[in-house]
Amino acid sequence: MANLKEIRSRIVSVNSTKQITSAMKMVSAAKLHRAQSAITRMRPYAEKMQEILRNLSDSLDVSENVYGVQREAERVLIIAINSNRGLCGAFNNNVNRKVRELIDRHKGAKVKVLGVGKKAYDTFKKTDELAGAGYPELPYEIFNDLNFENASEIAESVMDKFAEKRLDKVYLVYNSFKNAAVQHTTVENFLPVEPPKSDEENGDNSGQTEFIFEPNKEEIVEALVPKTLKIQFYKALLDSNAAEHGARMTSMHQATDNATELVKELNLVYNKARQASITNEILEIVSGAEALNG
Amino acid sequence: MRVEIITPDESLFKGEAKSVSMPGIDGSLGILDNHAPLITALKAGDVHVRTGSGEEKTFTLKGGTAEVLHNRLLILAE
Repeated sequence: MANLKEIRSRIVSVNSTKQITSAMKMVSAAKLHRAQSAITRMRPYAEKMQEILRNLSDSLDVSENVYGVQREAERVLIIAINSNRGLCGAFNNNVNRKVRELIDRHKGAKVKVLGVGKKAYDTFKKTDELAGAGYPELPYEIFNDLNFENASEIAESVMDKFAEKRLDKVYLVYNSFKNAAVQHTTVENFLPVEPPKSDEENGDNSGQTEFIFEPNKEEIVEALVPKTLKIQFYKALLDSNAAEHGARMTSMHQATDNATELVKELNLVYNKARQASITNEILEIVSGAEALNG
Repeated sequence: MRVEIITPDESLFKGEAKSVSMPGIDGSLGILDNHAPLITALKAGDVHVRTGSGEEKTFTLKGGTAEVLHNRLLILAE
């Protein structure tokens, strides 16, 4: 049996780890709250935009847009959205595994990965798939200050490349936020743009209204499509950000629980060892006294 | 009419207004009560909102899209 001092120092160390994990859990909970409200704030914007685009695309083909051209997928870009920090369970691994699957599916094509988030960058830095030249440098700094402007900078650089026909297909791989405990690893087609699905119920309502288009439909679509793309990208970032904090919160919660369990076990071992050593001492004294009497 | 100006990050304005002028791509656009349904693209510039009490509020946009429907103006700003 380990000696008392050893066990005592282990208890102390497990306890301090527990304090750290439970503090991290609190921090994540607070950050999750903020990330969630960011999603709620931007949701009406995204919905409205989709609705306007749907109104327009009833009579207009979005695939005529520069961002809507379908080409043979020879140069593929995968945007992998990870977190900047670890300690969030399988969060990043899930995304990166999906990215690997996608790479394997495009065997004949030239596939590059744009890592958003430090972890994705680090993972693909070691392979030759990491997209380097021509993309915003260090795209992982975005999570330090996540706002629409920063997000659209990255989105624009990718969209420009698609418009210049230097990319044929762009995927978006990220964790979408379901609730604090559940994340879904999602693969989305980013480019070319898919025509918005006309919702039956919505279609009925909007179909009846005759809109005036100023200056004209074509120009509005021209202006709107890049905006929806940026919104889609921004939404993915926000989703992933919320999912990250959710994942970290759960995994830190688990770590705290585990630490509590461990401390309990160690305390038991410690008390047993203490009792054993006391029993031993008494035994020695008694047998010593016995020897003197005898 | 009801006016709402939102950006992806926040809601800039929400409330009743008498008139709104905004920078359309082909020139400034004024919207009054009961305007016909309209969808328009906006360029960078200022949006002026005149509220019921005669107060005027100004918002600077980098572009956006506006929709008028059922006496409700929605500006998706950037």
